[in-house]
Amino acid sequence: MNGPRVAAVGVGYSNTGRRLGLTSRQLAVQAATRAMADAGMEPADIDGSTMLCMVAGDADPNLDVVDSMDIAHMLGIGPLNWWNSGALPAYVGPAMQAVAAIKAGFCHTVLTMRVIRQRFSTSEGLEATSNAITYAPDDYQFVQPFGSVNTLLAIAGMPAQRYMDLYGATEEHFGRHVVAQREWASHNPEAIFREPLTLDDYFNARYITKPVRILDCDYPVDSASAVIYTTEERARDFAKKPIFVEAAALSAVQELTFEGLDDIVENSPVHCSKTLWSRTDLKPADIDSVHLYDGFSIIVFQWLEALGFCGRGEAGPFIAEGNTSMGGSLPVNTDGGACNVGRRHGANFCIEAVRQLRGGESGVRQVPDAKAALWTNAVGAFSGAMIMTSE
Amino acid sequence: MSVTAAIYPPLPGITPLTQFFWDGIKQRKLLILQCQNCGHHVHVPRPVCNRCRSLDLQPVEMSGRATLYGYTVVMQAFHPYYTDKIPYTLAVVELVEEPGLRMTTQIVDCPEADLRTGMDVELVWTEVAPEMILPYFRPATRTSGVAS
Repeated sequence: MNGPRVAAVGVGYSNTGRRLGLTSRQLAVQAATRAMADAGMEPADIDGSTMLCMVAGDADPNLDVVDSMDIAHMLGIGPLNWWNSGALPAYVGPAMQAVAAIKAGFCHTVLTMRVIRQRFSTSEGLEATSNAITYAPDDYQFVQPFGSVNTLLAIAGMPAQRYMDLYGATEEHFGRHVVAQREWASHNPEAIFREPLTLDDYFNARYITKPVRILDCDYPVDSASAVIYTTEERARDFAKKPIFVEAAALSAVQELTFEGLDDIVENSPVHCSKTLWSRTDLKPADIDSVHLYDGFSIIVFQWLEALGFCGRGEAGPFIAEGNTSMGGSLPVNTDGGACNVGRRHGANFCIEAVRQLRGGESGVRQVPDAKAALWTNAVGAFSGAMIMTSE
Repeated sequence: MSVTAAIYPPLPGITPLTQFFWDGIKQRKLLILQCQNCGHHVHVPRPVCNRCRSLDLQPVEMSGRATLYGYTVVMQAFHPYYTDKIPYTLAVVELVEEPGLRMTTQIVDCPEADLRTGMDVELVWTEVAPEMILPYFRPATRTSGVAS
């Protein structure tokens, strides 16, 4: 990729959980402050700001929002040379924007954030709490009246069922993935769920929409995540070893509902992966740790195959053989994934990649001699991926 | 009578672009936009053909024959309407009129064990709430003659 090399130099999380009693602004300031401290950085070192702050799921009218200029003001950052709020998808949107803005020379050091607050974390459960009649706007009028009343039915349920039918994958394959991720999480003090799981535990978990079980779903929380990027030249001045952006790619295949995708199993990650590999000399075999968006288990399968870590339809056996587990040939989601650390909409995969490549920050989860890591975010109509290196 | 979400599923937020579809449903006709220049079907509705860019699209009635492209048996009610209706089979079906022409619907009159991706299905008008019918699908009672 053209332009100066860009490095991640600081990472940080807010307090993370449900019913924290913290507003979006408070969560954002916590995460950003910790990322600056991680980098040994002052507000004056930063001249760019980008974030995505939105609810995941139905919005509670009492939820506040924060934006990229607002966070800069609260932190004493400024004047800003570049900012943006609302880049999609999820965390990889702001990350890609920051890399592009630095490479273009619009700014030199950018605070990137994903801030999530959601009704799910402030109400008692997933069921709708109001009995008022609802209307489905725009394209949703062709899915919601027919029963597709929660995105996960189309992003996870139908793709997982079709994937099983096409390739002979089994529910045990999904279970093996869930058990492997939980094993990683059991060694992560920041994970919300750390109790090891067995395959029996998986099969005893209730279905949400077949074949998707509750353990296949990421865990909705309030959280803010921050990563600070800067130029290679400046990166050497900060406290931590810089971790470089080797290659990155975004892909949008359509702007439609999940139900309307040309292919509900193979979509934007396939195109995104091709673009990503075209921008680096590295090959799948050169990647030491992999951090794949796991909003739902099936998405990890989709990314493993799209990226070429295994063949089409082979992710299930690949996982069942232990490749993605601790001690396996391809460590995947070494922080435990969003199913276990909480829904951070992609930021946790970037942050864990940075920590693995720095070395010494992951305890027994450390991948020996990790030099290259790959992380991904989102699925369906749009997604993104990034390869990072320690040198 | 109080109209509540326990009685009605989410209702369509109808716009001028989508009025024809919901008008058709009231007459038990499944209407899909078709490009009058190249014959391509466009669903969900758009005011332009995404194959030839023609602006001349007209609703045409579908035969109601389709194959099952994807499905999931929903086990949790995410809307009050579904509290007493789970489990139900949410589906995407591919209409025989054109490869890739798909719509979201439900499969009814089919035991879960008999659901098969690629199976032939046919439209069945289903009363889902007072004075509200939707085009659902059930296993075909005659062969569609279309391989899936």
